[in-house]
Amino acid sequence: MRIWALLLGIAATALSVCLRTADGLTMTVHKVECVYEEVEYDGDMVYGNFVVQDYEIFWGSDHPGIELVVTGPQGNKVHSSTSKEAEKFEFRAPRRGLYKFCFHNPALAPEDLTFYIHVGHIPGIQDLAQDENLKPVNVKIAQLAEALEAVSAEIRYMQNRDKRHRSTNESTQRRLIAYTVAESVMLLGASIGQVYLIQQLFSKRIGYNRV
Amino acid sequence: MIPLVECFGSHILTLRQLFNFISNIVEGLQLEVTGRTTKCIAEEIQSDVLVVGDYKVVSTSEDDLSVTAKVTSPYGKQLHHLENVHSGQFAFTSKESGKYVACFWLQSAHPNVHLNLALDWKTGVGAKDWESIAKKEKLDGMQLELRQLEEAVGSIHKEMLYLRDREAEMRNLNELTNSRVGWFGIMSLLVCLGVAGWQLWHLKTFFERKKLL
Repeated sequence: MRIWALLLGIAATALSVCLRTADGLTMTVHKVECVYEEVEYDGDMVYGNFVVQDYEIFWGSDHPGIELVVTGPQGNKVHSSTSKEAEKFEFRAPRRGLYKFCFHNPALAPEDLTFYIHVGHIPGIQDLAQDENLKPVNVKIAQLAEALEAVSAEIRYMQNRDKRHRSTNESTQRRLIAYTVAESVMLLGASIGQVYLIQQLFSKRIGYNRV
Repeated sequence: MIPLVECFGSHILTLRQLFNFISNIVEGLQLEVTGRTTKCIAEEIQSDVLVVGDYKVVSTSEDDLSVTAKVTSPYGKQLHHLENVHSGQFAFTSKESGKYVACFWLQSAHPNVHLNLALDWKTGVGAKDWESIAKKEKLDGMQLELRQLEEAVGSIHKEMLYLRDREAEMRNLNELTNSRVGWFGIMSLLVCLGVAGWQLWHLKTFFERKKLL
């Protein structure tokens, strides 16, 4: 009986593979950075998102974003996207194997990228037919776990976008104060300079007008 | 949805099915570490969160390649440092909130060598030792899974509250910026008009003094 409990414990831990809390991992992309994910079953759903954290943007055209290219185990291109600052992606993996997720940075400066990739597997109807011990309730629980993982992924995405917007807003606030003070100082300086210059001009010429 | 009452029945798996699950566990991300560069992965973690990491060399371009791993806290404190290993594990509870970085590099500087490193990084709910909790509280498979789901929902709720607080702060900041734009615009205009008026007055008195007007 104890052996069964231990085996059940191990099985439950194995099933918890799909229940990892969201990894919002950050890395710096210089030109190309690639990560790999193993897909265990044919037809598994792979989804994820990435957000580019730009800390100080001056000209928007300098930061076009990051391109994602996903290559399958046989080298075929499974998914690709144009340069985006934040994107959610989802595709069904046709074959099992090692998938390569490459992030390309077209800009000159390195970008900080926060990404999340999840491979979800739900035991399907064909597994139900083959395995008489796999009850429909297991399938439902697996679906529930996957749905919660998707919610967690969405929250992570929103948190990362919020970080990005926050840095933009703080930068706006700093720029507002700095530019207003600089503008006032330069205006005062220019007007005092003008007055001084005109005074000098007329001090020299005073003699000519008298004539 | 099958009602929860039916879920708490006994849930017996055959050994073959168990083997199916266990032998197919390949978790986590794989990184490619080349001879020339350091691969660093970071995550923003709140304080008081359990973090468990596990890394293993999966494939190498040459034999006898080993990797050096280093994990640092946001203030630069070294939490884990192993040199020339093929696999390793680390676990810590975050004391301060911030960016925790894990870096990997090869000892040899040859640009052509590379290896694939499987990194499994778990935080919070996923990092807990569910096996020992199952044994201690005597939960069977179904109960344990539902317990995990319950904890996951709790952590999602906490994250949503955190997000809501951050949004409130950002909204305050935006409203402050908006009102400041208005006030600074008016102030700039007043400074401009004031300076223009002073210029006219000063030059008028200057020319009157010089008997030109």
